[in-house]
Amino acid sequence: MTRSRSAALCLGLLLPLAIPAAAQRGVEKGHRDPALEPCDIHHDRGRVIEAASCYRSLLGDQSLATQAEAHWMLGDLKAANDRFREAVRLEPENPDLRVRWGYLYIESHNEAEGAQLFQEALELDDRHVPARLGMARALGARFEGKALETVREALEDKSDQAEGHLLLGRMALEEGDLETARNSLETALAKSEALGIAPLEAYALLAVLGMLEGEPDNEWVDRALQFNPRYGQVYAEQAHFYVITRRYREATERLRKAIGVAPSLWRAHAELGVNLMREGHDQEGRQHLEIAYEGDPYSAKTVNTLRLLDKYDEFETFASGQSGEQAHPRVIVRLPRKEAALLRPYVTELTERAIETFERKYAFRLQQPVRVELYDNHDDFAVRTMAMPGIGLLGVTFGYVVAMDSPSGRRPGEFHWGTTLWHELAHVFTLESTNHLVPRWYSEGISMYEEWEADPRWGEAVTPEFIDAVQNEKLLPVEELDRGFIRPRYPGQVAISYMQAGYACRFVAERWGFEKHVELLRGFADGRSTASNLRSVLEIEPTDFDTDFDVFMRAELGPALEGLGRWRRHLKKALEAAREEDWDAVLEPARAAKEAYPQFIGPGSSYSLLATALDQAGNRAAAIAELREYERRGGRAPETLQRLAGWLEEAGQPEAAIGVYEGLLYNWPQDEKTHRRLGNLLLAAGDTQQALREFSAVVDLDPLDRAGAEYDLARAYVKIGNLAKARVHVLQALERAPTFRPALNLLRQVKR
Amino acid sequence: MTRPGMRTATRMGLVIALAAAGGSAKTHFLLIEGLGGTPKFADRFRAQVETMLPSMRRTAGEDAKAIVVAGMEATGERIGAAFVELAAAVGPGDDLAVILVGHGTHDGDSYKLNVPGPDVTGKQLARWLDSVPAARQLVVNTTSASGGTLETLTSPRRIVITATKNGRERTATVFGSYWAEALGAQEADTDKNESVSALEAFRYAEAKVKAHFEERKGLATEHPVLQGERAESFLLARLGAAAALADDPAKRELLVAREDLERRVAELSLRKDELSSEEYLDTLQELLLRIAEIQERIDAGSREDSEERP
Repeated sequence: MTRSRSAALCLGLLLPLAIPAAAQRGVEKGHRDPALEPCDIHHDRGRVIEAASCYRSLLGDQSLATQAEAHWMLGDLKAANDRFREAVRLEPENPDLRVRWGYLYIESHNEAEGAQLFQEALELDDRHVPARLGMARALGARFEGKALETVREALEDKSDQAEGHLLLGRMALEEGDLETARNSLETALAKSEALGIAPLEAYALLAVLGMLEGEPDNEWVDRALQFNPRYGQVYAEQAHFYVITRRYREATERLRKAIGVAPSLWRAHAELGVNLMREGHDQEGRQHLEIAYEGDPYSAKTVNTLRLLDKYDEFETFASGQSGEQAHPRVIVRLPRKEAALLRPYVTELTERAIETFERKYAFRLQQPVRVELYDNHDDFAVRTMAMPGIGLLGVTFGYVVAMDSPSGRRPGEFHWGTTLWHELAHVFTLESTNHLVPRWYSEGISMYEEWEADPRWGEAVTPEFIDAVQNEKLLPVEELDRGFIRPRYPGQVAISYMQAGYACRFVAERWGFEKHVELLRGFADGRSTASNLRSVLEIEPTDFDTDFDVFMRAELGPALEGLGRWRRHLKKALEAAREEDWDAVLEPARAAKEAYPQFIGPGSSYSLLATALDQAGNRAAAIAELREYERRGGRAPETLQRLAGWLEEAGQPEAAIGVYEGLLYNWPQDEKTHRRLGNLLLAAGDTQQALREFSAVVDLDPLDRAGAEYDLARAYVKIGNLAKARVHVLQALERAPTFRPALNLLRQVKR
Repeated sequence: MTRPGMRTATRMGLVIALAAAGGSAKTHFLLIEGLGGTPKFADRFRAQVETMLPSMRRTAGEDAKAIVVAGMEATGERIGAAFVELAAAVGPGDDLAVILVGHGTHDGDSYKLNVPGPDVTGKQLARWLDSVPAARQLVVNTTSASGGTLETLTSPRRIVITATKNGRERTATVFGSYWAEALGAQEADTDKNESVSALEAFRYAEAKVKAHFEERKGLATEHPVLQGERAESFLLARLGAAAALADDPAKRELLVAREDLERRVAELSLRKDELSSEEYLDTLQELLLRIAEIQERIDAGSREDSEERP
C-alpha cells in the first residue's frame, strides 16, 4: 500500500502560494490540530499570502499530522503524504489520521486510495463518522449507489453536522431531485454557520441549484465570492453539473469564469481543457491542460488527456459531405491511421445516412459538422470519455462530437459499431435540438429506439435481467428514470434503464404517433421537465404513463415474461445434447426454449442449436429459416452469420446472402472473407460500385492473397469500363503472381 | 534471423519452385509426431500429421523418401534410425524437410521433444541433421518452446521455422495446425503458381496464429519465427495441376522459358523505384503478356475462363 501511495505522489513540488486546496475545516472531516484554524480562516477567506505565511509557521510543529496539513495547504502534497505516512506508522490505531490522509488522496484525484484509507479507519472504529463521510464522498465521486446509504448512516449517528447534508444535497442535485437538494443544502448551510465552518461548499452547491433552476449567476455565487473573492470553485461546481447533464458549452463558460477568479485553480484548467476537446477545440484544450499539468502534475485525467492529444498524430482526419451550397463539410471523421482506409467509406456513409434520416424525422437541421472519432485502443477511448457518470462503454456524444471504440478494439461479434454509431448520432440530434436540455433518459431512449427503427437487426435485444426487472416491478417511474443512469441502486440497473427508456420511446411512438417525439423534444428545449412535458404533449399524468407503459411492456415481452424458468431448463437440455452431438435430441428442447424466450440471441441460442440440428437432419431450408430469424432478431455471432450467408449462397439466394454479408460489415468489418464474398456477389448482381468498395476493403486489409484481391478490383473496374484502372490492378496482381492464369487472361483484355 | 522482403521473396519463390518441379533435385521428408500426453493433444497432433501426409507424399513422389515416425513408435532410437536411412538416401543436390509435431520443453539451457522413452534433445536433432548430406534442409518445429532450437539448429544450409520465438514460450501451440492446413490451402499459394513454398506456408500459419490471438483478444503465447535464407524457394507442396505438370517432360522447355520471364519480372520489380510508373507498367505488361503466351501453350487447350477465378 505504501509503495503505491509513494508512486502516486512521486513528484514533490512546492507549488505557488495560491494552491486552492479545498476547505478542510470541520471535525466531520477528521480531527485536525486547532493550531491550524487561524491559517484556515485566512485560506477560506482567500487571503492567500496571510494563509501561506501562517501555514509555513507550522511546518516545524511537533506534530507530524500538523506538519502534513501545513504542507498540504502549501501545495507540497508529497511532503504531506510523507508526514501522514510517518504519523500513521507512529499511531496506527488513530482513525482520524487515516481519514485526514484519505482526504489528501481525494484532493490528489485518487478516490480509490482515499476510500481504502477510510475503510482502514472504519476497521479501527466502525462508527467513526468522519470515516463514513469520507467513504461516502469517495463513493459519491464515482457515482456509486452505496454512497447514499453510507451518508445516511453517518447522519443517523450524528445529525448535527454539515458534511453529511452537503453530500446528500450534492447527490440529490446529481439526480435532478432539486427539492431534496434544497432542503439538504439549506440544512447544511445552517449547520455550517452554527458550527463555525466556512459555508463555501454550501454556497457553491446552492449556486448550482439556482443554475439548474435556470439562473446561473445567482445570489449564491455572489455570496461565495463575497466570502472569498478567489473562490473560483463556485463556478467550477456549476461547470461540473453542466458537464454531467451534457451541457458542455455552458460548462466551458463557467470554467472560464472559474479561472478568471482563480487563475491557479488547476482542476478548472484541466476541466476546461477536456471540455474544449469535447466541443472539438483541441488546440485551446491542450493549452489549458498544459497549464493544469504545470500546476498539478498528479491528475491522471490531465496527464492521460495530454498523452491522447499527442497520439492524435497516429490518426487521420477526413471531411466529407457538402452542405448545400456551402463549402462546409457535414461530417468530419477521425480514424486510427492503420485502419483509416478500410473504415472511412463505411463510417462516412453511415454518418451521412444517419444525419439525413434524423434531420428529416426530427425536423432539425444541424448547425455544425458532426465529428466522429473511432479509437482502436479502448484505453484512449476511455480517456476521451472519462469523468462521465453512468457512461456506457461503447460510445459517447458530446454534442457535435461523437467518440467511440473502433471495431478492431474488440473481439469479433462483440461490438456492433454500426448500431453504436447510429445510437450516438441520434444523441447529436436530441442534444442539439434541445440545446442539451433533454433529460438523460429521453436522450438514451430515443437513441435505443432509433437503433431498432434503423434495422431490426440492430439495437439491444431483451435480456433476462430486463425481463426480471419488468416482472418484479423494478423499473423506475418515468419521472425518476434519470436516477437509473446516474447512481444505480442495484447491479445492472444502468443497462435496464437504457432498455426501459428505449421501450418508453417506442411506447410513445406506437400509442401517440412518432410526431409526438418531435413535440416532446421541443418541450424539453423550452425547459420543461419530464412530468410537465408528458402532461402537455401526451396529455397524460406521469403515474398513468407508468401504469400504461407496464401493460405495454408486458405485452411486448410476450411469453418471455413468464418463460425464463422454462427457457433455462430446456436450453440446458438442448446444450447438453449438442455437446454430445446428439442432434435429434437437440430439436425438441431447443424448440421449447425458443418458444419460452424467443428474443434470446446470445451465445448458445436456440436458433443456432436448431439450425445445426436441422441441417444435420438434412433439412437445410429449415436450418436457414432458423438462422434468418436469429439474424432478424439481432443475432451477431460472425461465424453463425457467415454460415447463414454461405448456406444462402449454396441455396441460390444471392440477394439474401448479400443482405447477411452487408449486415456483418457493421459488426466485423475486419473480416477479409466477408468483403471478398460480398464483392463477388455484388459484382454478379451488377452492383459494381458497391463491389468496388468491397474489393478495395480487401486490399486495405493487406491480405495474404494480395494478388487475388488486386485481380478482383481489376475485374470490377472492367465492369464499369475503367480499363486504365483495371490494367493497373491486374498488373499489380501479376507483379506478385506472374503465372496467375485468370489475371493473365484479363491482362490481354485490358492491355494498352 | 533472416526475413526476406516480400518483393524479392515472392519473385524468387516462383522461379525456384519451378526449378524444383522441373529439375532432378528431390525433396525428402521426415515427419516426427511426439507424445500428446492427453487424448485431446494426441488427437490434435495426429490430425496435423494426417493433414500433412498426402501433400508430403505427393511432393516427394516415388523417388524421394517420405518417412513418418509417430506415436509410441517415435522413440529416440527410431528417430535416429530414420535419419540413418535418410543419410543413405538423400543426395547432395537434394532437399530435406523435417517436421516436428508434439510437445517441447526448454529448461533454460536445452530443448527437448517429448517422445516415448528418453526425450530427444535439440543437440541430438542437430547432430542427426548434420549427418544428412542434403543441399538444403528445412526444419519445422511446431512444438511448444520450439524457439529454443533456433540457435542449436543454425546452419548455413538450413532453414529453421519454429512456432515460438524462444524456449520460454511454453504453452501448447496452435501454429502446427495452421502449418498443416497451409500445405493444402489455395489461400497459402499467394503467388498462384499452384505450389506452396516454405515461406508461403510460414506466412500463412503466422497470419493465422496472429488472427487466432487477436480474435480472442488474448495475450499471444507464441510468436512464430523463420530463420535462414531462401525459404521462398523451398518447395513444400504442389497443388492441383502443378503436380502433373512437374512429371511431364514435354512441358519442360516451356517451363524453363516461363521461368526465365518470371525471373525478369522479379528483377524488374526490384528496379521499380528507378523507373517512372508508366515505364514500369509498360515493361511489366510486356513481360507478362509473353508469360501469358507461354502459359497458354503449357495449358494446351485447358485454359480457364478468363473472367472467373478458380
